[in-house]
Amino acid sequence: MRCLSRFFAPLRVLLALAACWAVSAAVAQPPDLSGVWLPDVKDQRRQETQNIPPWKPEIKPQFQRMVDDEDAGRPFLVLDHCLPHGMPSWMLITHNAFEVLVTPGRITLLGEVDGNRMRRIYLDGRPHPEDPDLTLHGHSIGHWEGDTLIVDTVGIAPQAYIATSEAAGIPNNGDMHIVEHIHLVQPNVMADDLEITAPKVLTAPWKTTRLFRRYPDRHYEIVEGECVQEFLVPGKDANGNDIFLPNPQNADGSVRARKN
Amino acid sequence: MQKIMKNRFTVKSILPLCLSVLLGHAAWAHHSNAAYDTDHVATFTGTVKQVNWTNPHITFLVDRDPNPGEKGTVTWVLEVSSPGVLTRSGWTKRSLQPGDHATFRYAPLRNGTPSGYLNDVTLDSGQKLTYSLTPPEAPEKK
Repeated sequence: MRCLSRFFAPLRVLLALAACWAVSAAVAQPPDLSGVWLPDVKDQRRQETQNIPPWKPEIKPQFQRMVDDEDAGRPFLVLDHCLPHGMPSWMLITHNAFEVLVTPGRITLLGEVDGNRMRRIYLDGRPHPEDPDLTLHGHSIGHWEGDTLIVDTVGIAPQAYIATSEAAGIPNNGDMHIVEHIHLVQPNVMADDLEITAPKVLTAPWKTTRLFRRYPDRHYEIVEGECVQEFLVPGKDANGNDIFLPNPQNADGSVRARKN
Repeated sequence: MQKIMKNRFTVKSILPLCLSVLLGHAAWAHHSNAAYDTDHVATFTGTVKQVNWTNPHITFLVDRDPNPGEKGTVTWVLEVSSPGVLTRSGWTKRSLQPGDHATFRYAPLRNGTPSGYLNDVTLDSGQKLTYSLTPPEAPEKK
C-alpha cells in the first residue's frame, strides 16, 4: 500500500496542477455577452429626470424646450428620419432589443427596427483609423480588463443625437468621444457605464449607466425591421410583380396618425 | 381617403406619391408617445379593417361600431409598439386579423382625430391581447 501511495503521489500533484490550470483558464475567460438583450426601459425613464447631461448654457434652453413640449403633448421627434438611433442614443433610449454576437477578435451588436443598426467593436488590437469616415455609430475598439469590456468610440457623425428620450436630444455637433465600461451585474443583467465627451454641447464628460436584460429561456430573436415599411403595403406593379406600394390608409397617403 | 383607396396604382402614378410619402411624412417614425393622452384611456368596439405589421410601429385600422343613431363608419388608426415587442409578448402577425371584432382600449390622440395608442385588445372570444416592453417576470430567480 505504501508503495502504491508513493507511486500515486506525483500523479496527485499533477492532477492538482491540471485542476488549477483548468480553474485559472476558466477564470481568465471573459464573461459571455452573447445573446439577445432588452433595454430596461423603466430605468431609462428614471434616468430621464435623474441624470441630465451637463449641457452648455446655450444648449440648455433648447433642451428644456423639448422637455416642456413633450410635457405639453407636443413632442419633438428626435428620430423622425428613419435613420438608426446612432451613438450614444442607441444605448441610451432604445426600446428595442439587440443581439450581441461574439466572434474571434470582434463583438457585434445587431439592433432591431431600423435597417443597419449595427455596432462593430474590434478586440483584435487595431487602433482607430487616423481619419475615419464619420458614421452614426462611429468606430469602436475594445479590450477586456478583468470582467469588464472597455469600448472606445470615435468617428461619430455630428448629427448623431445625445438623447435622453425619443422627444429630447441635441445633436453632438462633432468631436464626440464615448468610453463604455460594459459588465454583467447579474448573470443576465448587463450594465453599460457610458462616459460621453462632447465638447461642442457639454461642459464636462457626462457619465450615465444603462441596463439591459437577457432572457435565455425565452429564445428571443431580434426581428428584421425596416423603418420605412410603415409607409408601405404589399401590392402589385403594372406587370403583376410583387412590390410595396404607398399605404393608402389616410387621405394624404400616410400610414401614421397625424400628431401635429 | 376613399378616392385614393379606389385608385388603381401604376408604377408611374405611385412614384410621386411614394416620394411625397417618404419625404413629407417621415416625421411620424420612431416617436415619443406624448401626443397621446394617457390620462384619458378609453375603449370602443369595432372590426379590424387592416393590419400594418411594420416597424418602427404597428398600426391597426379599425372600423368603430357606430353609436345608436350614428350614420356611417369611422375608421380609427390605432398605433402600437413594434413587431419585436409584440412578438416577444406572445403575439403573431395573425393575432389580430381583418374581420376580427373586439374591444380596443387606447389612449386617444390629443388633437381629436380618430386615432389612439393601443393599450390592449379583448376579442369577442374573451381572449385578451396585451404587451409589455419587458417580459413580466424577472429573469433572475435568485
